[in-house]
Amino acid sequence: MTDLILQALFSGLLVGSVYALVALGLALSFGAMRIINLAHGELVLLAAYCAYVVEARAGLDPYYAIPLALLVVTAVCAVLFLMIDRIREHRELNSLILTFGIGIILTNAILLAFASDVRTTSSPVLQDATSVGPVYAMNGEIVAFGVSLALMVALWWWLKKSWYGRAVRAVSSNRAAAKLMGISPVRTELVSFLVAGALASFAGVALYTMSVVQPAVGHALTVKAFIVTVLAGVGSIPGVFLAAILLGVTEALTVTLASSALQELAGMVLFLLVLFLLPNGLFGARARRG
Amino acid sequence: MLELDAVTVRFGGLVALRDVTFSVKPGEILGLVGPNGAGKTTLFNGISGLTRVRGRIRFEGRDVTKLPLYRRARLGIGRTFQIPQPMQHLTVRENLAVAQVFGAGKHNPERIEEILSVMELQAQGDRPAESALALQELKRLEIAKALATEPRLLLLDEVLAGLESQAKRQFAAKLKELHQRFGLTIVIVEHDIETISGLCSRAVVLNFGEIIADGTPAQVFRDPRVVESYTGTAHA
Repeated sequence: MTDLILQALFSGLLVGSVYALVALGLALSFGAMRIINLAHGELVLLAAYCAYVVEARAGLDPYYAIPLALLVVTAVCAVLFLMIDRIREHRELNSLILTFGIGIILTNAILLAFASDVRTTSSPVLQDATSVGPVYAMNGEIVAFGVSLALMVALWWWLKKSWYGRAVRAVSSNRAAAKLMGISPVRTELVSFLVAGALASFAGVALYTMSVVQPAVGHALTVKAFIVTVLAGVGSIPGVFLAAILLGVTEALTVTLASSALQELAGMVLFLLVLFLLPNGLFGARARRG
Repeated sequence: MLELDAVTVRFGGLVALRDVTFSVKPGEILGLVGPNGAGKTTLFNGISGLTRVRGRIRFEGRDVTKLPLYRRARLGIGRTFQIPQPMQHLTVRENLAVAQVFGAGKHNPERIEEILSVMELQAQGDRPAESALALQELKRLEIAKALATEPRLLLLDEVLAGLESQAKRQFAAKLKELHQRFGLTIVIVEHDIETISGLCSRAVVLNFGEIIADGTPAQVFRDPRVVESYTGTAHA
């Protein structure tokens, strides 16, 4: 039993890192634009299908799909941003409707192009298991974990040290004050949206190499990203990472100790518990006090 | 430096500013006074680009009426808010650095240290602006951010409000120092007659969105219409 629980904790950690990557994209666009991109999960899915195309049609390793995924997903992000930017009234509400609609269109486009079959990597290297002490993981999971960690560090550096990263933080702090400092809000929002798209690209490819994808997964990913963002309570990268790990571990323990049918439900229960007991999120008290 | 020509602002049926016309000369410190609701902050919002106006606003000969807020900031119009608006997720030093890079188009750490030193904020430089800075520190940060954009015109919205009289005098002296040191033109919204008289070479009085007096502080504060607007009674 202990081995099973240890395995569940380890698997939860690995899948949680990819959840974190998905959630950071959602949190980034929300921080800069104050809109919730309900099509974010579908953008991740789009990247996952880019990996499938590169592997199944071109016969290459799925990680070679990253340039293609970046190109496709950021292009869709740019179009989505242009549409959101045209909203003149009630942007928060209208953008929810818009992005929800775009999500449905993307899901159905993927369904038309690739059918509803479940897809995953066929790479023997990525599917091989590696033991880490008493627990095991697919190579694909370990690579995805490494990619996610590296990207989180890169995102942290970008937000902390680059001028555009600082501008994103400035706009998310105080939009009017940021404009008075000469910051163009539209350009800053576009940059943050494209960076969110880049994160979705990597997350999608990573997801394809460690899990299974099908058109319905996009919506579920958006929900998971939303749960993680609310659990974290504040846009700090370590906070999002820990909340994502918590979600991943909760799901893995539920599958191990109860039933895989309850996996999604467990995440929702965790979400509701945090909302009732810690409405500011697990790491949000300090940030929301003021 | 700044020319306003028939500037009008309406909020639905309410006329917040009506045909406001005046100009500000380079190097001037102009006091903008008037009772609450006179339209002073609305005028600042119009000049800085937060509020759309009818009429014409020219800055250094260039028509900026239609320019967005951030482009006016880049041209050299700096502005502070009555309630300080720090960018809370950034440190005090980062607030200035971002303002300098995007507002002035360059990064000059020496200049930032100079501004921090003049505004007596060096000790707080690496603290997050969200941490509990005292009111005076927040007000100094508000001005420091505006200075970092290297403005030639600085609009100060009630920066002395909430300060005790001694602190107010010290702050007014600091504003004079900034005016000389950075070669600024300043327009300041302030209620305190003593401060306006000591600081400004000229005062413009607004009431119900219209200019009712324009002259030296001594002249305008003797004007019967100004006295009436403040006291609600006709001057004897």
